[in-house]
Amino acid sequence: MLEIKDLRATVGGKEILKGINLTIKPGEIHAVMGPNGAGKSTLSYVLSGRAGYEVTGGSVLYKGVDLLDMSPDERACRGLFLAFQYPVEIPGVASATFLKTAFNAQRKFRGEEELDAMQFLKLVRKKTTELGIKDDMLKRAVNVGFSGGEKKRNEVLQMALFEPDLMLLDETDSGLDIDALKVAADGVNRLRSPERSALIITHYQRLLDYIVPDFVHVLADGKIVKSGDKSLALELEEKGYAEISAA
Amino acid sequence: MKNRTPLAQSYLDRFETAVSTLPGHESRSVQALRRQGLDTFAALDFPHKRIEEWRYTNLSALTKATANEDIPSSDLDVIQTAALDAPFEMVFINGHFSSDESRLKELPEGITLGSIASSLGNGAVFSLSSEEDRALFALNTAFMEDGFSLHVDDHVQSETILKITFRNESGDQNGRHIRNVINLGIGSKLTLVEEHTGTGSYFSNPVTSISLSEGAALNHYKLQNESHYAYHLSLTDCENAKGSIYQNFTFSLGARISRNEIKTTILGSEAESHLNGAYLMRGKQHCDTTTLTEHKVPQNISSQVYKGVLDDDAHGVFQGKIHIFRDAQQVVGDQLSKALLLSDRAGVDCKPELEIHADDVKCSHGATSGELDEDALFYLQSRGIPEDRARKLLIEAFLADVMESIGDTPVKDYFNAIAASWLTEA
Ligand SMILES: Nc1ncnc2c1ncn2[C@@H]1O[C@H](COP(=O)(O)OP(=O)(O)OP(=O)(O)O)[C@@H](O)[C@H]1O
Ligand SMILES: [Mg+2]
Repeated sequence: MLEIKDLRATVGGKEILKGINLTIKPGEIHAVMGPNGAGKSTLSYVLSGRAGYEVTGGSVLYKGVDLLDMSPDERACRGLFLAFQYPVEIPGVASATFLKTAFNAQRKFRGEEELDAMQFLKLVRKKTTELGIKDDMLKRAVNVGFSGGEKKRNEVLQMALFEPDLMLLDETDSGLDIDALKVAADGVNRLRSPERSALIITHYQRLLDYIVPDFVHVLADGKIVKSGDKSLALELEEKGYAEISAA
Repeated sequence: MKNRTPLAQSYLDRFETAVSTLPGHESRSVQALRRQGLDTFAALDFPHKRIEEWRYTNLSALTKATANEDIPSSDLDVIQTAALDAPFEMVFINGHFSSDESRLKELPEGITLGSIASSLGNGAVFSLSSEEDRALFALNTAFMEDGFSLHVDDHVQSETILKITFRNESGDQNGRHIRNVINLGIGSKLTLVEEHTGTGSYFSNPVTSISLSEGAALNHYKLQNESHYAYHLSLTDCENAKGSIYQNFTFSLGARISRNEIKTTILGSEAESHLNGAYLMRGKQHCDTTTLTEHKVPQNISSQVYKGVLDDDAHGVFQGKIHIFRDAQQVVGDQLSKALLLSDRAGVDCKPELEIHADDVKCSHGATSGELDEDALFYLQSRGIPEDRARKLLIEAFLADVMESIGDTPVKDYFNAIAASWLTEA
């Protein structure tokens, strides 16, 4: 699904990713943990193609093709989804318009028929009901005036709608109450399948109680310094990053 | 002998012929009015950058031209969409009323619409205040040819949309000195849409005087969609009596250099003046919006909201002045100007100005300019929306609230369709 080899990237002229190696196979869930400023969000942005994040070395293959060559929208259309650590507020763009435009852009890319307003609304209703998310935010501008938790729920809803093959979640659990945490976990677990994979960035073991990862990695200072199974997350919580990274 | 601009000199040279051929030439009072306009204009010449109100708009490309430039005759760049569905339309072609093109049969009762050329022919004159110091107004008075005169009787409240279309093309050097007069009677109501369009190079100089009686309400829309080789310099004056409401929305896309100068004078309490607008400019276009709102008496409201989208080398100007006289207590005045710059070379000059002589008033003003939000753009793209589509969404979002202020749905839909078409060409 995803093959990252010796990936190096700079932001604002400063090297942040210093040789990342990571392979995610179909069906696998990987968790990435690490101290603040380690480069976790940077990795998620490089993978989704944000401008200003310059790749200076290495390669990334996604479903066997060069990911770094694609525009951000092409990556999305090919099934990559990033749930933002800080979802962006877009005044003046109605959530419903945004979702439908994005949804149909993806369908068009894949040569599928676009949904009309009624069909789309039905689909959104289905997803919000499944996840227990209120759909009144559809009437509001994208993320504008949403609470921190509402913004995160909105990311989960989008993920449910787009049904991506590779989910990147950047601290989707941060700032969520326990119910919302379950919604987020539910969003991932519903999509879980032998064909789908996920990379979950988190600071807390708690989320991993609900989404059980196959692998846990520690990212520190732009490199993966340790990998293990789900028990590594528990160990981290106990001992902290300093001890683990040094070990 | 003063050092006149070539264009001003050519107007002076042409005046004697004009005064004896233009509408109303048999009338002494019309002749006298024209002469008065010419004298004022001769003393002033065209506005230049040394005049404070014209600091940001340079007319030398217009005034220096002695001969017609080489202009392709194609209607390059003029935005075209399905026409506004208006039941009544008065059409002016190259500044002259065309009854063939107009659809004015069975105008609602109480609405009188005529051409200024025929009023002038009957010797009717308009008051031109003696302290008039606006050169373009004076030039218009000297050379006015036609325009519309609209009168709505007391208490007549029309729900229909009246459209006035001005279609221009390059041709003679006289320019299009359109003079319009609007009078709304007590408690009357009207929606008016002006549309200015054309091909080739020409100079359009419309002057519109509006008087709203007590409790009258005018929704006044203007689409400035002139040829990109044209000059459009317009003056609109409105006087608001007690309880009257003037809503102006000016949507500018055309012309090489354009200026919309709107002056509203509030003479009665509980009156409202709302001047809104949007401008979409690209290439080397220049668009100037200048408003002056005078509150002369207490207890009334005014607002100005303008949003501009500027691409390539386009340039925008917003000058908005709110003048509150000494006795005008309990006045609310709000002003906002925002520009979205799509290129490094595009720019905008903003000059908000508050002149307040009363102490119990609420006034606000704000002016911002900025680029598209890169974070928002990435967010949209990361959901699969192609970059050009994402940009369009964000530009439409930028315009959304001011477009939403358009109260008449058919007009709102029409203007939004034009905006969408402009964006498609980006
Ligand atoms: N535009 C920028 N210019 C310079 N440095 C930047 C820029 N953006 C991010 N950085 C730096 O890159 C480093 C990694 O940031 P990143 O957001 O990837 O960390 P993170 O691991 O996600 O941290 P957190 O756990 O706090 O979310 C930080 O030191 C940050 O200050
Ligand atoms: Mg982060």
